[in-house]
Amino acid sequence: MSALPSEVFGIAALSLKVALTATVVSCLIGIPLGFALGWSRLRGRRAVLLLLNTALAFPTVVIGLIIYGLLARHGPLGALGLLFTWQAIVAAEVVLALPIATALSAAAVQTVDPRVRRTALTLGAGTLRTAWAVAREARFALAAAVVVAFGRVLSEVGAALIVGGNIRHETRTLTTAITLATSQGNFSLAIALGLVLLALALTVNVLIQLLQGRGDV
Amino acid sequence: MATFEVAGLQQTYGGRTVLSLETLTIETGARLALVGPNGAGKSTLLRLLAFLEPPSAGAIALEGRPVSTRAARRAARRRVTLVEQRPYLFRGTVAGNVAFGLRAAGVTGPAVAQRVRAALDRLQLQGLHERDARQLSEGEIQRVAVARALAVEPVALLLDEPASSADRAAQQAMFAALADEQARRPLTVVFASHLLEDAYRWSDRLLALHQGRPSPVTPENLFRVDLPGGAAMQQVAVGPLRIDVVSERAGPATLAIAPDEIVLSAAPLQSSARNMFHGRIVRLAEHGAEMRVTIDVGVELVARITRRSFDEMGLAVGREVYASFKSVAVKVF
Repeated sequence: MSALPSEVFGIAALSLKVALTATVVSCLIGIPLGFALGWSRLRGRRAVLLLLNTALAFPTVVIGLIIYGLLARHGPLGALGLLFTWQAIVAAEVVLALPIATALSAAAVQTVDPRVRRTALTLGAGTLRTAWAVAREARFALAAAVVVAFGRVLSEVGAALIVGGNIRHETRTLTTAITLATSQGNFSLAIALGLVLLALALTVNVLIQLLQGRGDV
Repeated sequence: MATFEVAGLQQTYGGRTVLSLETLTIETGARLALVGPNGAGKSTLLRLLAFLEPPSAGAIALEGRPVSTRAARRAARRRVTLVEQRPYLFRGTVAGNVAFGLRAAGVTGPAVAQRVRAALDRLQLQGLHERDARQLSEGEIQRVAVARALAVEPVALLLDEPASSADRAAQQAMFAALADEQARRPLTVVFASHLLEDAYRWSDRLLALHQGRPSPVTPENLFRVDLPGGAAMQQVAVGPLRIDVVSERAGPATLAIAPDEIVLSAAPLQSSARNMFHGRIVRLAEHGAEMRVTIDVGVELVARITRRSFDEMGLAVGREVYASFKSVAVKVF
């Protein structure tokens, strides 16, 4: 495997693109879902939360296999032609990050003082504004949900390898590149790529923390 | 017109009925005090009137219209606002908090700032606009919460124990602001209080609750006792006092002495009243032409007397008086 700086840059950019897209998609679905779960008093809520918590420990290669089966040419979604594309990796990572975003935001909502919701409601707020008020009070815990989801997808390798195929210039991410470099005995490259991965993770976390700090009106 | 009309209202939590009200009408512009011990159902009634939860049974009408569906409750919440016992201020500034309800009501532009300022001014909170809501004293939190509730101009303002966390001066400012607001526009105020003096001073009507039901007696001069039994005329221990009562019952019971059955005198009375105790006035509350005088005679007794008698006797906090009442005036239940 060559280690041209431009190639490393491309790999890092793809990793970031995949991780950010998957995090945004999973949080856009998972956070509202978490709110619904955290608030509802419906029967079956506990069972759903139990399932979610189980999904948190789901092996990533199994998720990779399932998505592979769905996207393979003869699979149910084969016609989309997505297998071995970066979008396929995003799909697998979303499946991976969704339970994290949902379970952690449900937990975040449950820890918010119940007076927040009552206060918003009695002041005439509708469902969305009330949810926003609760989200603002729970923003540290919600930001943690986003950070954990992002960390999970950025560092994931099994599913990305299976559905992405580790194709040079196409679907090679930092983690799959590290796997390849290691198997080729190129440890110095693997370590260099690992440091790039760490730097990326640090940068995104710092950005999220800065955003959080500015949320205070 | 009535702001609230309640019929057959019941609230049950986990199979336990915590509130049961056959009927209750609260007229527009009224100032109703809910009194009763903890667990009497005051907060539950306030949450129901605030349409924050649906009742288990019965109906509440707001301004003549029944509020029974989820959508109707949501619409009604724009007309009624509850200030909780320990109000929650959102993260951010005081002004941001007061603006919350206005924004929810669709107010935009400079009107928001203008109404925020007016609401804070009414509660004498000038200069607090940009303060961090998390750095206020309890009394300030209470008043900001009331300002926030009044900013949306509700038809009814509900307050749960508004005096509990505020100091005396803050409390005075708050009730005065409510009276001003009521003079300015039709506003119905319902507040729960465990302090009867406050309830009498600030309300024009009192609803006493006991174990979720309206109670025929106001919860003052109420004592849990153990009746010795054995005779129609008994002497029962209430704290350090021995009170003569007429009852054939024995065992645990509640004694109630109506405040208007207690006669105050500067010197011992020669009368038929079998109970007379010497004590000192500890609190006073004005309520129109009458005064409610709390006397410490070993336990606290509240007596209701006219303003004129009060003035003629020259009573004041700290004065020593005799409190007398007949044994037949002591209700046993």
